[in-house]
Amino acid sequence: MKYTLTRRDFIRGTAGVVLGTAVGLPQESPIPVKKTRVILIRDKDALDENSQFNKKVIQQMLDEAVMKLLGQSDPVAGFRALVKPEDIVGIKSNVWSYLPTPPEVEMAIKQRLLDAGVKEEAIAIDDHTVRTNPIFVKSTALFNVRPMRTHYLAGMSGCIKNFIMFDVSQEAHHPDSCADLGSLFLLPQVKGKTRLNVLCVLTPQYYGRGPHNFNRRYVWNYKGLIVGQDPIAVDTVGLRVLMAKRRKELGPAQEIPPVPKHIQIADTKYGIGTSDPNKIELIKLGWTDEILI
Amino acid sequence: MQVIRTRAQTILKKKKREFFPIGIILILISMTAGGNVLDLGRSIPKRILDWQAAGKDMVYNRKTLFDYMDGGAEVYLAFSFKEAFVRKYQGPNKDEIALDIYDMGTPEEAFGIFSCDRQDPEAGIGQESEYGPGLLRFRQGRYFVSITAAGDEKSAEKALLELGRTVAPLLGPPGALPAVLQWLPEPGLRKDRTSFFHSAINLNNRFFVSGDNILNLDARTDCVFAEYESGPAEKGNLLVVRYPDKGRAQAAYRSFCKAYFPQSGEVGTAQAEDRTWTMARVRSNFAAVVFKSPTKEYAERLHSAVRYPLR
Repeated sequence: MKYTLTRRDFIRGTAGVVLGTAVGLPQESPIPVKKTRVILIRDKDALDENSQFNKKVIQQMLDEAVMKLLGQSDPVAGFRALVKPEDIVGIKSNVWSYLPTPPEVEMAIKQRLLDAGVKEEAIAIDDHTVRTNPIFVKSTALFNVRPMRTHYLAGMSGCIKNFIMFDVSQEAHHPDSCADLGSLFLLPQVKGKTRLNVLCVLTPQYYGRGPHNFNRRYVWNYKGLIVGQDPIAVDTVGLRVLMAKRRKELGPAQEIPPVPKHIQIADTKYGIGTSDPNKIELIKLGWTDEILI
Repeated sequence: MQVIRTRAQTILKKKKREFFPIGIILILISMTAGGNVLDLGRSIPKRILDWQAAGKDMVYNRKTLFDYMDGGAEVYLAFSFKEAFVRKYQGPNKDEIALDIYDMGTPEEAFGIFSCDRQDPEAGIGQESEYGPGLLRFRQGRYFVSITAAGDEKSAEKALLELGRTVAPLLGPPGALPAVLQWLPEPGLRKDRTSFFHSAINLNNRFFVSGDNILNLDARTDCVFAEYESGPAEKGNLLVVRYPDKGRAQAAYRSFCKAYFPQSGEVGTAQAEDRTWTMARVRSNFAAVVFKSPTKEYAERLHSAVRYPLR
């Protein structure tokens, strides 16, 4: 049955039914379920006093997150669990000029891929030309990395939306609040290849204004990474951070960015991953000040 | 439009004798008579204080606006947007300012896009404006202008405001406000928080109502959303929608009530868990909803004060 989410659901606290519970707290399930692990790691030194990214700290954050995610004691072993040396790897980044994927995060991933034995010539980092980039065309593995921000239509731009460039038409995904973004993960160039999703919440954007939905006033130094193998679970956790920040800064009336239903639909309609908090094991590592969730 | 053109041509003839700068008149004719934004852009200085135009001027229309905006294009396309002129300026520290001039088709539509996202103090530029760090927005006639700083907002502030002050007079005469604003009751109305729009995307960015288009809004509906506050027990939000016909208004009202008040005993009215009242009403080809009223009485009072332009 189709359920229409309204403002009243948020007032009642029942919005989680529809939104994949980004707003709700996990409930204890009477039946044990296999949980999808998501790591939220933060470090107060991820950015320096001038808000410049700290390459060394970011590498350590990624390493710790991957080790914890995969139960490994060594980051290279962690990456070896994700790729084989013969893999051809596309790192799907995001070049949006106002808030691009930090090169420090891209390079942290690439470094560990090299350490895991993937050849340099078999690795590409790209965004707008992934459909024609020879490495991406031949890729056997994809790494998904981008910053988190609000979006006029989709409510949130996260790891799910990051794959929009794999489709011929981006506009085709805009109707109904970008509800069907989950279908991107079923495209032939993508299906079954995504090994790791890194949602950069180092400097996320919680609110948007102006023609490009960007104003630096609404970017804050959260200094974190959300890492997981399930892009839906990663975005579900990201949305919780985003909404908590909106509630704090803008008040309850503007807690919800309109309207991130694509996250839940990617789960229930496309079966890409889980948006159910009862099925997400969120592990928080590192700095806890103002963690929000 | 023909009248305006003729008047402008008359002015041209008269002023020519007085050595009035012909170029400026031609620009004004072009703007009032529907000239393109590139012509307008050519009249804007390429140097503002110590900031210099950088890169190629760009023009986007309804088909190409997607090339310029990620996801934001629909917000403009939900109005009668025609064209946008975009120019970048580079400062001494290589920081960037983006000047965007949107031809919204009519002054009413320019007011609409301006009104949907107002938060900052008035800047005294154009017909109405607002400025906050890194972002100047204003409207003049049928144009909406946004000037944004991408780098250090503080160092860009002077040039950003100067650019706005330079552009505003080039945009032609002021335009009228949408007639829909006259529907709104005056007492307690916060004019700076009043928005005019057509579609659900604008409503939800202004005030989230539903993930689905339960009020059946589209390009043919005129909507006005207003905030009211004249005391602790007298505040709330009022949405009034004009539909093309009575049938659509009735259908939208039923759709809204079904989604919003699924268990309400009283049709079109409910008190939410936060103790505020939501009340929907339909009249002729209009539907109206009061949200977040502290009392049922105030919601009823707001409804009864709406000045529907019924014949």
